Amino acid sequence: MIRLSGRLRSSLIIGGQGIRARKLRTFLSMVSLFMGVLAVVVVQAGAEIANRALLADVELSQGKDGTRQMYLNPEGKTVETALDVLAGRTDAVAMTTVQAIIGEPGVKPVNEGGGPVDQPGGYGRNMTCDVNGCYEVPTGNEGAPSGQAVELQLVGLTGDIRSFRPFRVDSGQWLDFGGDPSLAPRLVLNTKAAEAFRRFEVPAEMRLQGSTINATPRFVGVVEDGGYAPAAYVRSDELLNWLGAGDLSSGRNGPGLQVMMSPAASEVEHALRARLVAAGTPEEQIHVNTVNTLERMSTELSLMRWIFLGMAALVLLIGVAGILNVGLATVGERIEEFALRRAVGTPRLLLAGIVLAETLLTGLLTAAAAIGVGVVALQLASGMFGSRYPSLQGIEFPWQAGVAGVVAGLVAGVLGGLVPAVRAARIPIATVMRA
Amino acid sequence: MTPLIRLAGVTKTLKGQEQPRTILAGVDLTVHSGDSVAILGRSGSGKSTLLSVIGLFDRPDEGQYLLGEQDITRIPERKAAALRSAEFGFVFQRFFLLKHLTAAQNVAMALVNGQGWLSRRKRKAKVLAALDRVGIAHLAKHKPPRLSGGEQQRVAIARALVREPRILLADEPTGALDTETGNLVVEALRATTDHGCGLVLVTHDRDHAAKMGRVLRLSDGLLNPAAERVVV
Ligand SMILES: Nc1ncnc2c1ncn2[C@@H]1O[C@H](COP(=O)(O)OP(=O)(O)OP(=O)(O)O)[C@@H](O)[C@H]1O
Ligand SMILES: [Mg+2]
Repeated sequence: MIRLSGRLRSSLIIGGQGIRARKLRTFLSMVSLFMGVLAVVVVQAGAEIANRALLADVELSQGKDGTRQMYLNPEGKTVETALDVLAGRTDAVAMTTVQAIIGEPGVKPVNEGGGPVDQPGGYGRNMTCDVNGCYEVPTGNEGAPSGQAVELQLVGLTGDIRSFRPFRVDSGQWLDFGGDPSLAPRLVLNTKAAEAFRRFEVPAEMRLQGSTINATPRFVGVVEDGGYAPAAYVRSDELLNWLGAGDLSSGRNGPGLQVMMSPAASEVEHALRARLVAAGTPEEQIHVNTVNTLERMSTELSLMRWIFLGMAALVLLIGVAGILNVGLATVGERIEEFALRRAVGTPRLLLAGIVLAETLLTGLLTAAAAIGVGVVALQLASGMFGSRYPSLQGIEFPWQAGVAGVVAGLVAGVLGGLVPAVRAARIPIATVMRA
Repeated sequence: MTPLIRLAGVTKTLKGQEQPRTILAGVDLTVHSGDSVAILGRSGSGKSTLLSVIGLFDRPDEGQYLLGEQDITRIPERKAAALRSAEFGFVFQRFFLLKHLTAAQNVAMALVNGQGWLSRRKRKAKVLAALDRVGIAHLAKHKPPRLSGGEQQRVAIARALVREPRILLADEPTGALDTETGNLVVEALRATTDHGCGLVLVTHDRDHAAKMGRVLRLSDGLLNPAAERVVV
């Protein structure tokens, strides 16, 4: 213990004397290494940030990886059965989709068809295609005057969908699935719908496809759901006050009836399947798949990342050549010092270690500088462009980039210091000290 | 009494440019505590080579080398480094001081070598004592470029003495000094033997050699008593 700490302390003093005697040289080594380490940090940080942004989007709109998804044709007793099986469950949630128009009664909505409001006519012509070709579908608003109303997808939920799709609450609150259903349906809008209402100031009356009575909805919150078109979320059981189960999922643009299940909920999946088949749903119409977009996306992203990291590594290599060059020159210059230190009893391994430690320290200092620059740059970018690119807002420096920077610094230190260290250890004392 | 060091039949062959050259061809040398030995010899006769074998910079090809009762003929480098630190002190013709360090730091170098550890306070005390022994304690904070040759060599001697070695090896320590300064340095070296140190001094100066207890001559790879024993 004492021996080890004696060595360590000696090497700290010797290394410190070496660096202090060559401050400018150490600084120049750092400069030559800086760009390389910075390149590695930037590439890694960029890749992480892009990855996170994409991943967040994908999770919002498609569901977390591993989620089991069942798509069902909303025919016969399918919807009724599914709602019945899944009522009150948290590990599996059914989503129904129906078109709804909120606003002035009896008018054509500003976004007929339920498309994005800032893309007029986007979904305006309701085309549908089958074996006979494509043709226009009547919207039910023929002849109605244009007015202040917004058409949106009304999504009925049997439970909290957020364990599969982590919607971010923008304002207000998310649906409360506990307690009795309310007679006036409570709605949570997505940000696109909220924006449409803000823009067109529509009065709040809701027409539902398939319902003859118009409901007065209560908006309780706004969430970011990753979608592009206006949508609103509501408890299925509240929706059932206004619509029959068969009408719950008649949305033209919706995916029909969708069930999201956690990977662990295989029992529910079996039960649901059995009940559906018993209720007359054809077995072959029950499709289940598992969300694995992340994996597919990551392979593409990581390919990009490796290409960029490869280029960064090249820049780093140039820096290593610089540090190696300086290191070799320094050893050449310090031959007498090293021989002398060995003559007075310094073990050669310790000397090699000190030479290596000096470059490692240079590498680490460079890494610290590069990471610091990266953090500051990211903060500046987030402050300046955050309003234009939401993905840059409130972003944090990814720790992976920090690790990559430190690793790059260490690798550069080892590559640039090893050869000089070996040389230093090999200096023959007898030859140097021979007067 | 067991001698400090004892070399018997030591040989050393160095790889020359064309063919190997035998520099030491069977050297016998015994040094006791308090002994002072001068080694004379023509340039190229192998005096420095002999010192580098004694000082464990190098190992003999053949023969035997005893330190006290320990056979160190084939000692591994790691142990040799520890012995160089604990048992030997070295002084060279060129002073080999690091010019970016002060005199005191240059002396402390022999203490900060990864062989054991002394607190900063103890180190300072030892360094000052060593500098005091060669009469330059007042120059502790000076850096070598600001010291005269004689002062620099005395810093080097202080560095060799700071660990209180049992054997002091000096390779032409006065070679770069004028006569008067040289005399001072040689006297400082010889004084160490009063404390029981063994001294081996390589020199071209017969006056300096004459101040040693024994004078030997290295020629044809062999060490023999010098014929020209000069008495001052
Ligand atoms: N590394 C080496 N390889 C081969 N030969 C060497 C080597 N080093 C020294 N020599 C030769 O060994 C011989 C002895 O050298 P050494 O330095 O021991 O002589 P010296 O007696 O100390 O001379 P001087 O009085 O000039 O210092 C010289 O002829 C030298 O050329
Ligand atoms: Mg010599």
